[in-house]
Amino acid sequence: MELLKENWIFAEVDLNKVNPITYQLITKMNQISNLPVTVVLIESTSENLEDEIKEYGPDKIIIIKNDQLAQGNDLEMTNALDTLIEKTGRPNSFVFAATVVGRSLAPRLQARLRTGLTADCLDLHFEDDNTLIQTKPSYGDNIMCEIVVPNHRPQMATVRSNVFEAKKLNNPMLKVINITNLKVISDRQLTISSKTLPQENAESINDAKRIVAVGRGDKTEENLTNAKRLADKLHAVIGVTRPLTDLEEFNINDQIGQSGQSVSPDILINLGISGAVQYTAGISNAKTIVSANTDKDAPIFEYSDYYFVGNAEEFSKALEKVLQ
Amino acid sequence: MDQKTISQEILLRMVKSFVKNEVAPYDMEIDHTRSYVNDLLAKVRQNDFLSLMLPKEYGGAGFDGRTTAKVINEIAKGNASLAVTLEGHFKSIDQIVKYGNDELKNEYLPQAKNRIVAFSMTEPSGGSNPMGINSHAEKHGDKWIINGDKIMITNGGLAEIYCVLVKTAPTELSIFVVDNEMEGFEYGKQENFLGLTGVPVGEIVMNNIEVDDSHLLGKVGMGKEIGDSAHDDARVLMGAVLTGIMEHELDLVTDYATHRKAIDTPIIQMQGIQRKVADIAISKETTKLLYQKAAWMKDHGQDYEEEAAMAKAYGSRSAVKAGDDSLQILGGYGYSLDYPIEHLIRDARAMEIAEGTVEKMRTAIALKEAESRA
Amino acid sequence: MKIVVGIKQVPETTNVKINEKTKNIDRRGINGVINQYDRHALEAAFEIKAKTNAEVIVMTMGPDDFVVSLQEALALGADSAVLLSDRAFAGADTLATGYVLSKAIQKINDVDLVILGQQSVDADTGQMGPIVAEFLDISQVTYASKIDIADGALHIKRYLETVEQDITAKLPLLLTVTDQANDPKYVNVVEITKSFEKPVITWHATDLNLDDDRVGQAGSPSIVRSISSPKAVAKDNHKLADNPQDAADELVKILKEKNILMEDK
Ligand SMILES: Cc1cc2nc3c(=O)[nH]c(=O)nc-3n(C[C@H](O)[C@H](O)[C@H](O)COP(=O)(O)OP(=O)(O)OC[C@H]3O[C@@H](n4cnc5c(N)ncnc54)[C@H](O)[C@@H]3O)c2cc1C
Ligand SMILES: Cc1cc2nc3c(=O)[nH]c(=O)nc-3n(C[C@H](O)[C@H](O)[C@H](O)COP(=O)(O)OP(=O)(O)OC[C@H]3O[C@@H](n4cnc5c(N)ncnc54)[C@H](O)[C@@H]3O)c2cc1C
Repeated sequence: MELLKENWIFAEVDLNKVNPITYQLITKMNQISNLPVTVVLIESTSENLEDEIKEYGPDKIIIIKNDQLAQGNDLEMTNALDTLIEKTGRPNSFVFAATVVGRSLAPRLQARLRTGLTADCLDLHFEDDNTLIQTKPSYGDNIMCEIVVPNHRPQMATVRSNVFEAKKLNNPMLKVINITNLKVISDRQLTISSKTLPQENAESINDAKRIVAVGRGDKTEENLTNAKRLADKLHAVIGVTRPLTDLEEFNINDQIGQSGQSVSPDILINLGISGAVQYTAGISNAKTIVSANTDKDAPIFEYSDYYFVGNAEEFSKALEKVLQ
Repeated sequence: MDQKTISQEILLRMVKSFVKNEVAPYDMEIDHTRSYVNDLLAKVRQNDFLSLMLPKEYGGAGFDGRTTAKVINEIAKGNASLAVTLEGHFKSIDQIVKYGNDELKNEYLPQAKNRIVAFSMTEPSGGSNPMGINSHAEKHGDKWIINGDKIMITNGGLAEIYCVLVKTAPTELSIFVVDNEMEGFEYGKQENFLGLTGVPVGEIVMNNIEVDDSHLLGKVGMGKEIGDSAHDDARVLMGAVLTGIMEHELDLVTDYATHRKAIDTPIIQMQGIQRKVADIAISKETTKLLYQKAAWMKDHGQDYEEEAAMAKAYGSRSAVKAGDDSLQILGGYGYSLDYPIEHLIRDARAMEIAEGTVEKMRTAIALKEAESRA
Repeated sequence: MKIVVGIKQVPETTNVKINEKTKNIDRRGINGVINQYDRHALEAAFEIKAKTNAEVIVMTMGPDDFVVSLQEALALGADSAVLLSDRAFAGADTLATGYVLSKAIQKINDVDLVILGQQSVDADTGQMGPIVAEFLDISQVTYASKIDIADGALHIKRYLETVEQDITAKLPLLLTVTDQANDPKYVNVVEITKSFEKPVITWHATDLNLDDDRVGQAGSPSIVRSISSPKAVAKDNHKLADNPQDAADELVKILKEKNILMEDK
């Protein structure tokens, strides 16, 4: 099989939206790759998602416009990518998003091509001869492994969202290739109907992706009204520290901490919370933590990615305004 | 790997996950509400925990003494009360298996899968001294008529089948099996105990209960022997409960001491704390070895009376002391009703009294030591 | 109907560390358990069995001590078990493991449904399902969150990032299931003993008609070059601007760049 001196990225499209991980992968590949960076995009005939992808500066976009493929059947997409690769030759590497789509499609293609695939990478770099060094966590992120695929091409990987930053870049060399005559071998076993999930506010803090937590430093009726408005804007759920469960409207189900709930949101905003150990015991799985407190030495700052020294209510109002 | 090893491993895997999900999270609530919340007993029945050591010929799983004790140990790590409820059931089944005639075994052992069995000796007039009891059984033709009042029964009120110690003559003790569906059987008052508050401890009253000869365990006059045997079996399992309590304490103190800082140093780095933590660990391990040895001897048909007594006598005092040290390590939190340490002390304290006081066990140990040298 | 459920025995905790001396994962004192997702795979099979009287065969490739997990699956309700064990399988990556599993499934013959967990909690790849489906040349539905069977077809709910899918799938099929799919039961104490009446078969490499250079280390394109402990990612502790409005602007800008506030673009 012929080898193609390119590194490929599969553009993840969730219904008619490009998943931002695609842009993150382009930026990263542009930084580490000596070879041209190519994005493979499967989209429906009515879409032109390449217009958005372009802005991140890949060297090439291969577009397969096909309504049936755009439905997202793993087997059909594997067939299509396999046919494409047969035409172009095997790229040096082929990376996917470590999303449900990527983690389903990539291994099927891996098996078809009988090559190696590394799941859920947190870092990628090339060694001089275009060998892709793939760093992946295992044992629930307690161990990091460096994995290589020395003798097979493409070197495949899926990569987690939001570990790399996306930066827009103008690439005047961009080539766009439309593949029009690709034969789709269809999968008659499955009927798939998809719909976009409404962005719902989670019901409880346990499974909330976003939490605005309020403590004794932000507990007046007016404070709370403002905190709730911020929460609404963010589609976030309100959580509280223990002292606030004395208020009528909160109970142990709203309380974060050792004797309350353990939470694991993508983002947690702490308003007027000191950061007692019994509270922080419940937030160790929160990904990004933002805190506002008047005390510049508040212990909560140690647990925070971003912190604001000052009045929590003013901060929350300002934040709400920016999000308008 | 042989069948026995595989079975044990599957069982212990299941028990660990059951304890983690269904028992441990409710430990405090069980203590505070004095009841098995979260449908715990229904889940225990559903998964056939009650048949753990019941012989296979009666529909049980037939696990040996060591495995049974290990399971009790794991459960006690999550909640000591539940472990003691099971201990009470198992030691009672043990006596029916050892001393029951075939008719009695065929009647009751298959039922033990769902109905809890209890063992009752104590009365208002006699605890440590069995001869002080007033309950009695009188022979009328081929029936026995039983009268009396039994108190402080582990699982009393919850259990449905009872082995009861009665007098069949002024100085003759015997044990009969009665159940809550018999005419003349009544539940009495529940105790309001300091610890192990999940375990119902209560009274039964027997008014002219009439039973067949087959309901006699062993022979007339064997009451003391069977009572002693029940004590031995209970004490092995209590050693396991106490080990579980100390493991629970160790989990709490090591977690606290590694995270709690005095100025900048975690307190686990301080010698005063280290000494306490190490002592708890030593006590835990010693108790574990004692109960495991006793269980091993039981499984191998050896006399385990002394080892069983040691496991409970040593384990109970050590666990109370370990609890006290744990309380001290956690400081104000240790003294708080919002933390589990205080109830672990109360739980452990029960076992210096129940199933033979530590004083009686020391008597037994001392006499055994003398006897073996005589 | 025949269902094969693939399971893997994994360490009971993923909280493992690297031994300083051996530079390898220290598994001392850590017992094995059935991979949590595979319990859901088994439960999915049992629920289908309850409706269709299907035969459930549980299968694992691994060393002999994986037999404990097979036996546990029998106690949970599987009808028979297959252990794929051979020195030649050692060092397999996902591709080589998937190859052996697919060969064994073919040997069983007439399998209508293969169910796996969405991923194992140790290697965490989630690759096995699609690989096996590809080698069996059957359709796949991964990450099934709700599974029902009616009129010989499966009705499945599946969630992507922001998309919900309703899938109707005809058999034969390979399914991988999430932990949302059902509530696995505990092993019943008495069933453990009874499960030894059910058959456990061991197949070695020679039983499977394998292509030698597709198994074990030789058949594995991936090489684990090194393992290490993750560096503790200390929190940034980034102090925002002093003025609340500036601070809010600064924060939102950063969060958007990092895609933490994606859809509010
Ligand atoms: C057994 C036990 C279990 C417990 N479990 C929990 C638990 O699960 N969850 C829990 O939360 N607590 C728990 N606690 C209580 C815990 O110890 C703390 O008391 C509690 O977390 C403090 O809540 P707080 O941060 O809201 O209040 P405080 O500690 O009073 O902090 C208020 C903070 O607000 C700041 N502030 C004041 N005014 C403003 C303003 N205008 N703008 C911004 N900042 C301002 C102050 O500087 C201060 O840092 C437990 C305690 C015990 C003993
Ligand atoms: C730390 C570590 C990292 C690794 N990283 C990679 C890597 O990045 N790429 C790679 O190719 N290999 C990797 N491997 C090798 C990989 O673990 C083996 O190939 C492995 O046993 C196969 O699958 P998995 O655990 O990834 O399965 P997954 O695909 O995650 O498992 C999905 C499901 O497949 C089924 N299944 C998995 N294994 C078996 C089995 N042996 N028998 C029956 N059913 C099974 C189970 O139902 C399981 O839930 C790694 C191994 C380790 C220890």
